[in-house]
Amino acid sequence: MNWTKIVFIVIILATIVLGFIFYRPVFSYLIASLVFAYILDPLVTSLEYRGVPRWVSVLMVYAVIAGLLALFTTRMVPMLINQGNNLMALFQYSDKPVSEQVLALPFVRSVFEFLQNVDKQVPSLGFSAKFVHLIETGNQLLGELPKLLVDNYQTILSMISFVITVPVFSFFILKDKQTLRKGMLSLVPNRFFELAVILQNKIDETVGRFLRAILLEVISVSIMTSVALTIVGVPYAVLIGITAGVANIIPYIGPWLGAALAVLTVLITGKPLSMMIYAALAMYLVQVLDNNFVYPVVVGKTIKMHPLIVLVTVLAGGWFGGIIWMLISVPLVYIVYSLVRELYINLKQFRLI
Amino acid sequence: MVKDYLKWLWKVIRKPQEYQSLKKYMLFRELNPFELSLVNACLHNREYRAGEVLFEDGHPLEALFFIVSGELQVSGKLNPQGSAILKKHQFIGVIDLFGNNKRSGSATALTDLNVLALTESDFQDLISKNKRLGNKLLKACCEFLGCYLQDIGSGQ
Repeated sequence: MNWTKIVFIVIILATIVLGFIFYRPVFSYLIASLVFAYILDPLVTSLEYRGVPRWVSVLMVYAVIAGLLALFTTRMVPMLINQGNNLMALFQYSDKPVSEQVLALPFVRSVFEFLQNVDKQVPSLGFSAKFVHLIETGNQLLGELPKLLVDNYQTILSMISFVITVPVFSFFILKDKQTLRKGMLSLVPNRFFELAVILQNKIDETVGRFLRAILLEVISVSIMTSVALTIVGVPYAVLIGITAGVANIIPYIGPWLGAALAVLTVLITGKPLSMMIYAALAMYLVQVLDNNFVYPVVVGKTIKMHPLIVLVTVLAGGWFGGIIWMLISVPLVYIVYSLVRELYINLKQFRLI
Repeated sequence: MVKDYLKWLWKVIRKPQEYQSLKKYMLFRELNPFELSLVNACLHNREYRAGEVLFEDGHPLEALFFIVSGELQVSGKLNPQGSAILKKHQFIGVIDLFGNNKRSGSATALTDLNVLALTESDFQDLISKNKRLGNKLLKACCEFLGCYLQDIGSGQ
C-alpha cells in the first residue's frame, strides 16, 4: 500500500471521528427523525405515486398528523390529565394523614391487619410500623414530583426542542430520500455496490415495516384495553390503556405490566375485589385478540425471540438507559439481529465470506 | 410530479440536450425528454478499472449496467459463443432481471469503464410510478429479448 493511500485513509478516519464528536449531541435527534421518517414514508410515497410532488406530500401528511394531534389534545389530553391528577390526589390531598387514608383502602387494610396479627404473635418484628413507614416514604416521593419538574426544567426544555426539531429533520429526510440514498451509495466501493443496494432496500423494508407495525400495535392495544376496561368499570381506563399499549412493545413482559397496572388500580381505588378478576379477564381478552388477530395482520410474523433473551434484553436496556431503553431495547435488538442475518445471507450469496 | 416537470423545464431551457445521450440505449429509445429526466434521477454513475469484476455468475442481481464508455466482457451460459464484448451504449442485466434474479454470467471490465447503474428497485419504481413510462420500458425490454432470441436462433 502506498503512502498517499495510507495518508488519505487516515485523513478520512480522522474526519469521521471528528464529525462523530462534533455531531454527537444531535445523534438522538437524527435517530428519532429517522424513526419518524420511516413511519411516514409509505404515506408520502403513496401520495407521490398519485402525482403529488414529494415535498407537498410531506407537508400534506404533516398537516393530517397535526390535525389528529390537535384532535387528540383537545379531546383526550384533558381527560388523561384529569385521570392522572385524580390518581395522584388519592395519595396527596386529604385532611387525614396519608398513611391513614391509604390504610382505609380495603386491600391495604387487609394486608395491614395481617401484619398487625403477625406483630401480636412476634412483637419484636414491628412489621405494621414498617408498613406505615413504607407508605409515608412512597407518598413523600410522589409529593416531590412537582419539585422534580422545576429542578429539571432544562431537561424539559431540551425535550420541547427535541419535539420541535425532529419533524424538521424528518421533513428533509423524507423530501430528499432519493438524493440521500444515491449519496450513500456513491461512497460504496464497486465490489460492494449491489450488496449495498440490497442492504439499503432490506433496511428500508425491515426497519420501516417493523416500526410502523409497532406503532399500529401500540395504538390498537391502547384502544382495545381502554374500551375493555371501561366496559368492566375500571377507573382511569384510558390512562391504563395507553400505558398498557406502550408497555406492549416489550414482548412477553409488556402485557403483564399492563394487566398488573389494571389490577393494582382496582385495589388502590377500593373497588370490589371481583372487579380485579374482571379487569384481569379483560386484559387477557385484549391479549388474545391482539395475538391472534392484530399482531399477525399488522406485523406479519411475530418476533421470534426466546423469552429468556427478551428478559435479558429488557434488563440490560433498563441498566443501560432506564425505562425508555427498556421499551426500545427489544425492537432495537430484533432489528439489529434481522439486519445482521440479512448481511450474512447476502455476504454468502456474493461469496464475500 | 409538478416539481419534476418544473425541474425538467428548467433543465431544458438551460441545457436542451441534457438527457438525449440516454436515448442511445435501446431501453430508453422511446422515452421523451421528461421521462428521460426521471430515469436519469435514478442512475448511479460508477467507474471501473480495467480488469475489475462487475459481477460474477450466481450473484444476486440488483442492478442493470448501461455502458457510457469503455468495454466490458461478459461470459456465461446466455452467450452462445461463450463470451461477448459489450461497448458504449449497450447494457447488461435485463435477461436475468426477468429470470430468477441471479446472475447467469460474469462481467469484467476490459478497459477502464464508466457505467450507469439502475437498481432493480428503482426500475420497478419507475414502472409502477409512471404507467406510460413503465409501458415504454417494458415494451423496450420485450423488443430487446425478442432480438436476443432471434440472435440465438440465427447462431450469432
